[in-house]
Amino acid sequence: MSTSPVTSRGLETIALSRSFGGVTAVAAASVSFQHGKVNALIGPNGSGKTTLFNCITGMIKPDHGRVTYRGRDITGKAPDAIARAGIGRSFQLCRVFPRMTVLDNLLVAVRARSLKAQLASSRSRENIDRARGWLVRMGIDHLETAEARNLSWGQQKLLELAGVLMGDPETILLDEPAGGVNPALIGRIGTLVRELNSEGKTFIIVEHNMDMVMSICDHIIVFDRGRPIAEGPPAIIRTDQRVLEAYLGV
Amino acid sequence: MSLPLVVQSLVLGVLLGGLYALLAAGLTLYFGVMRVVMIAHSAFLILAAYLAWYFHGLTGLDPLLSLPITVPLFFGCGVAMQRLVLARLRPATRTMMSVLLTFAIALVIEGGLGTVFTGTQRRLQLGYSSASLELFGARVAVVKLIAFALAAAAMAALYLVLTKTKFGQALRATIQHREAAQLVGIQTDRVAGYGFGLGLATAAIGGTALALDSTIYPSLHWRWIGPLMAIIVVGGLGSVPGTAIAAMLLGMLMSLLQIPLGTTWAQTVFYIALFATLAFRPHGLFGGRLATRF
Amino acid sequence: MRRRGPAVRLVALAIGAALILAFPAVAANPYMLTVGIGILNYAVLATAWNFVGGFTGYISLGHGALAGLGAYGTGLLVVAGLPSFVALGVAAAIVAVLAIPIGVAALRVRGASFVIVSIALVLILLLVFQSWAQVTGGSRGFVVPRPFPDLHRAEHHRVFFFLFAGLLAVALATWWLIDRSHFGLGLKAIREDEDKAQSLGIPTFAAKLVVFVVSAAFTALGGGLYALWFGDLDPVFQFSVLSGSTTVLMALLGGVRHLFGPLLGALVVGVGLEYFKLEYGDTPLHLVATGVLLGGVVMFMPEGVIPGLSGLFKRWFAPGEVSIREVTAAALLDANRREPEPRVTDRADATEAGR
Repeated sequence: MSTSPVTSRGLETIALSRSFGGVTAVAAASVSFQHGKVNALIGPNGSGKTTLFNCITGMIKPDHGRVTYRGRDITGKAPDAIARAGIGRSFQLCRVFPRMTVLDNLLVAVRARSLKAQLASSRSRENIDRARGWLVRMGIDHLETAEARNLSWGQQKLLELAGVLMGDPETILLDEPAGGVNPALIGRIGTLVRELNSEGKTFIIVEHNMDMVMSICDHIIVFDRGRPIAEGPPAIIRTDQRVLEAYLGV
Repeated sequence: MSLPLVVQSLVLGVLLGGLYALLAAGLTLYFGVMRVVMIAHSAFLILAAYLAWYFHGLTGLDPLLSLPITVPLFFGCGVAMQRLVLARLRPATRTMMSVLLTFAIALVIEGGLGTVFTGTQRRLQLGYSSASLELFGARVAVVKLIAFALAAAAMAALYLVLTKTKFGQALRATIQHREAAQLVGIQTDRVAGYGFGLGLATAAIGGTALALDSTIYPSLHWRWIGPLMAIIVVGGLGSVPGTAIAAMLLGMLMSLLQIPLGTTWAQTVFYIALFATLAFRPHGLFGGRLATRF
Repeated sequence: MRRRGPAVRLVALAIGAALILAFPAVAANPYMLTVGIGILNYAVLATAWNFVGGFTGYISLGHGALAGLGAYGTGLLVVAGLPSFVALGVAAAIVAVLAIPIGVAALRVRGASFVIVSIALVLILLLVFQSWAQVTGGSRGFVVPRPFPDLHRAEHHRVFFFLFAGLLAVALATWWLIDRSHFGLGLKAIREDEDKAQSLGIPTFAAKLVVFVVSAAFTALGGGLYALWFGDLDPVFQFSVLSGSTTVLMALLGGVRHLFGPLLGALVVGVGLEYFKLEYGDTPLHLVATGVLLGGVVMFMPEGVIPGLSGLFKRWFAPGEVSIREVTAAALLDANRREPEPRVTDRADATEAGR
């Protein structure tokens, strides 16, 4: 067994490329997200951030390059395999199961590893308690029996996050968590991310809300035209000339 | 297997493939435009065939002259079906529900035809029904040639509409990416309606062509929907050129296989091609991204 | 109200079971009994179909193929020398195994391909079974030897009535088991949003395949039992997209999200079809009627009759129930009235309320 490096390896992409017809969305992007930290992936619209997410989580297959997690190659694996490997994600256009209750939306994320567990009731005491725990933490426990489609946008975002967390992932990819959300809720989500990070979860957040990014993230990677152009802590990125050019150029 | 026989089969296969191409083009259009699997397409085909036969019986004129009536009629029907019925389905379950809905329409057509015309098999008896020509060393029935010519002309017209007209461009844009088409100002709902109309118009032409050469009966549509669906999957769902190529290939293959296997077993080639495509290359020949996440 | 729910359901279940079991005794003549068996057969097929249709939302128009395979499989094995019910089991097992590659092909690309494959399956099997006359008798039909040759007709029907009822009970029990299980919840997530379900770690392909095989097994059992009861098979009736779609109609009409939906649908449509046949004879008009009914259900009642009825039931017996938005507001008020120490939740709820 080789000695582990000082910072343990987390999610990395190596020369990842993906094009759609004539448009190159991700161009030989090599990115190394810091494990155990709150990472941000920022950049102008169309810079390839969501495509990178989709390649990482298996929703689309990259044309070239690799994705590794904790040293294991996960390139091109099916989304469910990647989720089971410990990587959870939320979606840009928040996705919940609309005609299932809030509680069921969480219960469905429970990992049932044996045949017995699969055939057992989905409503075990243990799972319900754990689900309720997350609902309380999100502040939507009073909506337990509501159908997800009846929730407000902000409530659905919290529900989606709770569902992802229910699967107990190690690394969580958030795609624009502050999108379309009122400022107080953005603050809450930010606080939640920092709390969960202190409990051991790694975050990678695609976000346009610079206040949120600067205030909660440890490490920022800036994307432009399909590849990373700068990375570092908020203080450095804030004043980086290339970043300013990339954003102003939009 | 003698050479003249092979040549004969190939020629017939090309003629058959041409007809299949036209019929399948409509079917793939419906899917491209609205992600709808239009099972009633072949039923409309048979309806058109019956209308051609009835027209001939009523007026004594050549059934091809019924086209100026049936084509606009079917076009209008297609537009109406898309706007009034299919657009009402919830987008989330549209593909599945459209199958049931169009199947229901097919049942109504079959039942209607059976009630009005009874189940007796019908066949057009024209002056030139039994005439045949010598073509590339093969003996070919004139009606088959006319049917092929009709199909080829219709396909050519379809190709011109799709590539050279503004509407055709809008239609192709809507098929490729509906949201993007809307963003550039295309009225996708209206375009979708016309796309449907176009699809049913091809059914009108195809059905008339079919009537020239085949015996028709109400449940005949079941013998067509299977091969047609196989063709559109093999060609790639939503791709008209892919469909045309797949139709020609499979038509010729079936015709060739008729010699050793006989007609009935030769028909299985469509289904084998279907399963093989889904197993090894689900996109089909030209399906692209349309085939992956519908 | 919540406490009474399960008790009411158990009583209703017991009454229903009693009615079914008593039917052969009260049936006026053997014809009525055969109608009853026909309806039970429909109910088995519709419930079996509903494993796929109800849980995953995938509409298969090809279950007629699986039923036909079960029927011919059982018949051929009986002719080959196996005891009737062993043949039934073996045939169903074979169909279940066959369902694996079929499912793999059909489920690889989603939605539309699944439907196309299901229809293609029926059509190709119709072709094969019609042409392969030496083995299957082709269009002349295939006679399946009766399992109880000594029984006279009325008794034969009675026995099979109970056999079908038993099969239905097993199918329903299995559906119920899956419905309440974790596996079932995963399937329902697939129905709601397949990509999202995958992103949560649900092995969607494997799950769909498993439930498809279960569905195929029960469908084959239904088809096989029919073969043993009816004794005469014709490819046109066995491999029929129409009969497959009638099954779908029954499940849809009764309600695909409910355990007894398909049974209810089978009852309504089955009785309707019999009545239609008696009144109007075997005309193509019944195709029109089926088509109109199917179209109507899809357009206007996609949830089926049960939700409609239970909605009425709720409004009648529990008028005090309040809409969820009002519950939320009441809960908000409650939360705001609690301890003065501001919980993070209060602020969020208040800002939500302020939207």
